[in-house]
Amino acid sequence: MSGGLLRRALGLRQAKIGLTLTGIVVLLAVAGALFGNMITGYQPDDFSGKPFHANGMAGTDGVGRDVLTRFLDGGLDLLGYGLAATAIGVLLGAALGMLAGYTGGWLDGLIMRGSDVLLSIPQLVFALLAIAMIGPKGWLLILVIGITHAPRVARVARQTTVGVIGQDYIKAAQLYGMPRRRILLREVLPNITGPLMVELGLRLTYSIGYVASLSFLGLGIQPPAADWGLMINENRIALVVQPWGVVLPVLAIAVLTVGTNLITDSLAAAAARRTTEES
Amino acid sequence: MNPSSKYHRIGRRGFLGLAAGLAAVPVLSGCGRAADAEASAPAGPPKRGGMLRVGVTGGGSSDTLDPHIPATNPDIARTINLYEALLYRDNQFRLRPLVAESVVSSPDATVWTATIRKGIKFHDGRPVMPRDVVASFRRITDPDDPKTGAASLSMLESVVPTGDRTVEFRLSQATAGFDDYLGQYSLGIVPADFDVKKPIGTGPFRMGTFDAGLQSTFLRNEHYWVPDQPYLDKLVLTNFTEDDARINALLSSQVDVIDQVPVALIDVLRSDERIRILNSRTGTWQPFTMRVDRPPFDDVRVRQALRLVIDREQMINQVLSGQGRVANDLYAPYDPAYDSTLPQRRRDLRKVRGLLAAAGKPNLEVELTTAPIQAGAVEAAQVFQRQAKDAGITIRLHKVDTTTFFGENYKNWDFAQSFWYTRNYLPQVNNGALPSSPINETHFGDPEFTAIIAKAQGTVDTAERTKLLHQAQRIEYERGGDIIWAFPNQVDAYQVYVAGLVPDRTGIPLSGYQFRNAWLGQGGGA
Amino acid sequence: MIRMILRRLLISVLVLLVVSILVFVATLLLPGDPARAILGTQATPERIAALQEHMHLNVPVWQRYFDWLSGVLTGDLGFSTSTQGSVNTLLADRIGASLVLLIASAVISTPIGLVVGTWSAIRAGRTSDHVVSGFSLVIAALPEFVIGVALVVLFSTSVFKLLPSVTLSPPGTPVWERPTQLVLPVLTLVLVVTPYIVRMMRATMIEVLASGSVEMARLKGIPERIVLFRHALPQASGPVAQVIALQLAWLAGGVVVVEFLFRYPGIGAALIDAVNNRDVQVVQAITLLIAGVYVVVNLLADVVGIVTNPRLRTEVAK
Repeated sequence: MSGGLLRRALGLRQAKIGLTLTGIVVLLAVAGALFGNMITGYQPDDFSGKPFHANGMAGTDGVGRDVLTRFLDGGLDLLGYGLAATAIGVLLGAALGMLAGYTGGWLDGLIMRGSDVLLSIPQLVFALLAIAMIGPKGWLLILVIGITHAPRVARVARQTTVGVIGQDYIKAAQLYGMPRRRILLREVLPNITGPLMVELGLRLTYSIGYVASLSFLGLGIQPPAADWGLMINENRIALVVQPWGVVLPVLAIAVLTVGTNLITDSLAAAAARRTTEES
Repeated sequence: MNPSSKYHRIGRRGFLGLAAGLAAVPVLSGCGRAADAEASAPAGPPKRGGMLRVGVTGGGSSDTLDPHIPATNPDIARTINLYEALLYRDNQFRLRPLVAESVVSSPDATVWTATIRKGIKFHDGRPVMPRDVVASFRRITDPDDPKTGAASLSMLESVVPTGDRTVEFRLSQATAGFDDYLGQYSLGIVPADFDVKKPIGTGPFRMGTFDAGLQSTFLRNEHYWVPDQPYLDKLVLTNFTEDDARINALLSSQVDVIDQVPVALIDVLRSDERIRILNSRTGTWQPFTMRVDRPPFDDVRVRQALRLVIDREQMINQVLSGQGRVANDLYAPYDPAYDSTLPQRRRDLRKVRGLLAAAGKPNLEVELTTAPIQAGAVEAAQVFQRQAKDAGITIRLHKVDTTTFFGENYKNWDFAQSFWYTRNYLPQVNNGALPSSPINETHFGDPEFTAIIAKAQGTVDTAERTKLLHQAQRIEYERGGDIIWAFPNQVDAYQVYVAGLVPDRTGIPLSGYQFRNAWLGQGGGA
Repeated sequence: MIRMILRRLLISVLVLLVVSILVFVATLLLPGDPARAILGTQATPERIAALQEHMHLNVPVWQRYFDWLSGVLTGDLGFSTSTQGSVNTLLADRIGASLVLLIASAVISTPIGLVVGTWSAIRAGRTSDHVVSGFSLVIAALPEFVIGVALVVLFSTSVFKLLPSVTLSPPGTPVWERPTQLVLPVLTLVLVVTPYIVRMMRATMIEVLASGSVEMARLKGIPERIVLFRHALPQASGPVAQVIALQLAWLAGGVVVVEFLFRYPGIGAALIDAVNNRDVQVVQAITLLIAGVYVVVNLLADVVGIVTNPRLRTEVAK
């Protein structure tokens, strides 16, 4: 069923553009991390010249490392963290939302009021609070961004679940005494994949944005790691003399988020069209 | 004045040149100077008058006017211009009289007599009396609330007025270099009835306004003891926490001088004809500190290996953009007793591997705690980490913020970094290398070393003392816990019309913040 | 309906209360002893003890919470350890500065978003509509700091050198005295927010334009312009007000990154400073402040939604 949605979405021109853009950056990040030093001849932490000098194709950074090498190496962490945070957020959110929607009653109330509390603190501020407590650790970054996604995903999951549970096949499954977990996984989940796919895309776009933003604030991925967000912050003091250390990562993040957002939008359009067709 | 006319004016001055990019356009507000006058480097005798606006790094809302507990750069700048100690270190790092005319020692170095400068007055016109000196030192060494300078005055037993202008410092033990301890800016002489709310001293400037964390202004002290000085009518210190904001303020002429130019940007600023760079060789040092009482650094071979794995020239190039001199794991380069005969340590990876193998740690793995405690600190940690990799040593960086660094684990990190201004050998040892030192980051407590230092403190004969100090330095050179890789330059910048700022060895920015020497040429002085 | 609004209000208050507990507990876990952090190198055990006493760090936790909460409710946000002054004074100017950013951004982005969204909806399916949609889709994807840095490169350092890239405000002078330095931060926020308004306005208008009442008006031969202003726009006002409110709420959090990027002296930059300085009560105050704005604006959005949408009104009521 979701295969149909994907196929339909990918039929849109916008999705093709999005897929191409995302593909370019993903390829760049993966291949760059694997083969970057073969292309430039430097390791990400090698010194290629004096700080902020024009050595190499894109100059050097604040301690004289090759900017191009670090740019090629710096995307993989961002992608990995973004994907992991999205996975946590969507899985947790979908599970809680389905549970709340299906079960109703006090559990529904508890889950939804709990998510109201989380929703009333902006995601970035919440992440700042958590990082201030525990420090800028990779797992924390993933966890806290994932957790802040969860209530937003849960709302969508709950709403769609409520729409589904009145259907006959669910009632039939209940009559047969199918356990709750199986009903949720076998009967409910396949019928709400559309909205969940849209959420997945949306959350991925945001996750990449948040990880990069936190690194940019100096509270995400830590030196000496090469990372796009961190690079932007490290190199912006010399923007006038050596702009590439800022411009390259900014471009990459921009293309990546635009790409994922185009795909998400196509998914949403395809899902909306299916609903209208079905009704 | 409407914004467009201001903008036009800036454009005419060729502001949108290369460096202006950093600044982007500064639309000057009412504080504009005579912008049309061509500014050029001033010459001739100093001119009186005008206002100097200084951008200073750091500071915060915990800024203070207390003469005896300056902590941040703005604190130090305020202290130096409001208050004066008995002695001070001049630009050449020579000990010079200030409030005192002279400080002389008894033959056995247990009693030191300071003579107060004739005619010297506080900001309110009252003469400085011996009781003021006594009260100042009582305030500093108050056992209930000891101030910054107290730690280095542990041998001071009492301060006694002995005449109209003389004060005796009686010591519990002979201390040959006691006058050196008196030459610290945090030992300012204040009136006996001093109150921080009325910050009165003998400094070249008196207090105008004070906004903690933001700005302080100072007015010319008409009673100042140096004829004609200070040349300025007014001094304004503004705090800047961010590098780019400070540089932008200079380029957009919102300030006349700034301290701490990020070294990587020196060339950018140099290319601007309106700006001059003040590049000072100093005796400051930014060591990596290894705790000698904690594994793996309790093994002297590990310490030696780490001192040999560092590539000092490369550190200077990558971290300081070349602005610094190679150091030899020893401090106090301007001390006459500095031992320059010890061979310069150079990188030797074979020796490193040998030492580590002998120590049974061929694949050494350590954690280095770093924080932006000083310009270039985190960068230095990164470069060192990379260098250590060449010998198979893994350094994990533990980056924390400054507050955490100076938090409950401060002085107890196994492997971390530090920053010290220029000092002579014995004062530095007292501050950081004895079991009794207030800031002994390496926990160095070598009994042989401590005994030699104690003996040297009481040795009056210079040649004899130098011999002892050489012995002490050799011990630190061989067994110490500091990796001292360079003496970085202090780099500041000022507008071309500012005069009187000269390179300064103390490591304190902007000619040691001695703004009594500064004056404004044509184009400056609104 | 009144009952529903009251119920919604009560929930908001409860949520804020839970948030305050959450924030308070979170700041308790901050590493580092604030008393030590203030004293720094000057710390001696006696001084730390004295300062802890002064800061009420030795009072039971629950009592500190209630002290703090009652302070907040009476307008006393507490004591800033790093500034050695009241949080109120610390934040007074900064709240103003942040509000200037927020209001300027909202005032610029809202009309642009509404007009462009409506225009796009009228021309739905045509090239101009596709351009607008595509453009807003692209901008909406970008993290705010990416937009900000791009603007800096474009207008301040590398392409044109027209506008300042950092905010310089000498003490005592409000930021808006130098309007040029407001341009880039405001423009960044406008670019972040406008696409959402455009997209929501477009979707709403397309729906409204296809609705029965508008169809009816058209059939009556009423000119399109009047159909738009008399019939379509009023119908769209509810959802639109909600979108605007939501964007305002977003701005309250979004200023953090933008202020950091431009060194803008607002509450967002203060929050990052406070996190770094372990300035507990400042972190508490700002987080609560932002959460407060968030909750209140969301509440307003809901109320507007309830008031303007009769269908929702009955639906939720049952």
